Amino acid sequence: MRTIDTEVLIVGSGAGGSVTAARLAEAGRSVLIAEEGPWYAPDAHVPFSLDEFTARYRHQGACAALGNPGIAFAEGRCVGGSTEINSGLYHRLPDHLAAEWRDTYAIADFDDGTLAKYAAEIEDVITVSTVPGEPPASSQALGRGATALGWRSVEFARVFAYDDKGRGTKQTMSRTMIPRAVAAGTVIQPDCAIVKLEREGHRVTGAVAVITLPDGSKESVRIRADDVFVCGGAIQSPALLQRSGFRRNIGGGLKFHPTVKVAARFTEPYDHDDVPMYRVTEFAPYLTIGGSASRRGQVALAIADAAPEQLETVIERWEDIVVYYAAIRSQGSGRVQAMPGFRAPLVTYHMTDADMSRLARGLVHLGEVLLAAGAVELFPSITEGPIVTDRDGLGSWWDALTRARSKLMTVHLTSTVRMGEAADRTGADSFGRVWQTENLYVNDASLLPDAPGVNPQAAIMAIAARNADAYLSGISTGASVSRA
Amino acid sequence: MLWLERRIVAALAGPDDERSGGAISEFVDSSFRAMPAHLRLGVVVESVGLGAYVRLRYLGNPSAEQIRAALAGFERNPIGVVRQYPQLLASLVIFAQYEKAAS
Repeated sequence: MRTIDTEVLIVGSGAGGSVTAARLAEAGRSVLIAEEGPWYAPDAHVPFSLDEFTARYRHQGACAALGNPGIAFAEGRCVGGSTEINSGLYHRLPDHLAAEWRDTYAIADFDDGTLAKYAAEIEDVITVSTVPGEPPASSQALGRGATALGWRSVEFARVFAYDDKGRGTKQTMSRTMIPRAVAAGTVIQPDCAIVKLEREGHRVTGAVAVITLPDGSKESVRIRADDVFVCGGAIQSPALLQRSGFRRNIGGGLKFHPTVKVAARFTEPYDHDDVPMYRVTEFAPYLTIGGSASRRGQVALAIADAAPEQLETVIERWEDIVVYYAAIRSQGSGRVQAMPGFRAPLVTYHMTDADMSRLARGLVHLGEVLLAAGAVELFPSITEGPIVTDRDGLGSWWDALTRARSKLMTVHLTSTVRMGEAADRTGADSFGRVWQTENLYVNDASLLPDAPGVNPQAAIMAIAARNADAYLSGISTGASVSRA
Repeated sequence: MLWLERRIVAALAGPDDERSGGAISEFVDSSFRAMPAHLRLGVVVESVGLGAYVRLRYLGNPSAEQIRAALAGFERNPIGVVRQYPQLLASLVIFAQYEKAAS
């Protein structure tokens, strides 16, 4: 078996892994990123298209958390991770959440000023901006509807750069942090799946991996490293740790934003090339209303949920239709469990009755804002759900959104290796070092104690930068091994 | 893909699959292959079990119309995983069908 030596092995190249790599490499460390997925040019695929699903999504997007109801979820599987496939929304971690997390999990050095400093540094690299000029019609609809109802709405900033003609380009990790890391000497190994980490006592010595070569053949390699950062996201990171024998508070407490969708038909064509960047924040952070990808395929799926027999006729006017969503902060939680003999972990999630009630409320509010914006027909993501054309009809959605009929999805997965000094309910210390280890770190969405109610990539990147600096400075709580 | 899965894709996609050079079938097949193994295993069990039921019910060789009728029956089944089976197949077919049409 071939052996590769590096000072620091980083598993995964998404928001956490890329930021970690760039900071460590720029500080002079020898860094290798092992990315399970392929390395594509940033603009190789049309966003949210069938080709992109096939190429960049883990399991081609066909994955779900089992439960009642089951909830579909998506993860990126390519260099850049989920930053390559998301809508690019950027929202700093709200101060009140940072304080709540710090107090609940005893997270050291987790004050507003520290997080703001790192967020500002990240923003300097990745370009955070709003749309120059008029927002697209699909976004304006949310703002118009919210204004009509007296609700708050706002255009969320995104990681987009605009040229002088107003054309936007999403600033994914493969456009920002990855080139920076590579320029500083980081080696990227795409198509490299880490099978398990190797350990000697409290130290991790590296990993066994399988590289898929260009001709499709497989090569097993051993990667030897002084230190290892696991940054595969809230599903893959705990699964790898469990496969490698680390199980203390690893994999439980999965959190995400359960999401229900509505396809809204207007009386004229709307834009479909971008995701609406307006959000109705009247009920935030517990309930957020926004817009989704609305290519022809997504519109067809949304209509088919509610009215499969009408799909053929309604889809003829698909250019008048946009898909919107209501997402909640959930009281429920889930679990990631590696299973012997299976590569992918079992993911489960329990929605509480309060979650279902909050989702139903969100669905009705979403309907209200869309009707106020001028939509004439609403198709909810409920199996044979009532199609609504006026406000009186929205009441029917309360009863229709049952566990058996709801079709839910999510994208923001977090909290499976929580950080903090409260060792009885965290998997890692305040800076991501896994309990019972001296040199194994997690630095991704897994560390966030809860799903924040907004796109978490800003929080992930700021915390990853903070933890990377703590690593470089030799800062730790000094208790990771002894507490275990 | 297994027998019932192929028949369902053919019944739902109709001539669109042929027109797209089999791209819809190919997408469904590759989605099944990419799916987590434990989920795929569950789908296989259902495909075999429900496939046996459909063969018995329609005496071996159901028409596309009969397949669609069977799917409608599955969607009303009180057992959640039976309801989810036709929804999964339909989601994959519809997404591929209309995305291919878009491109």
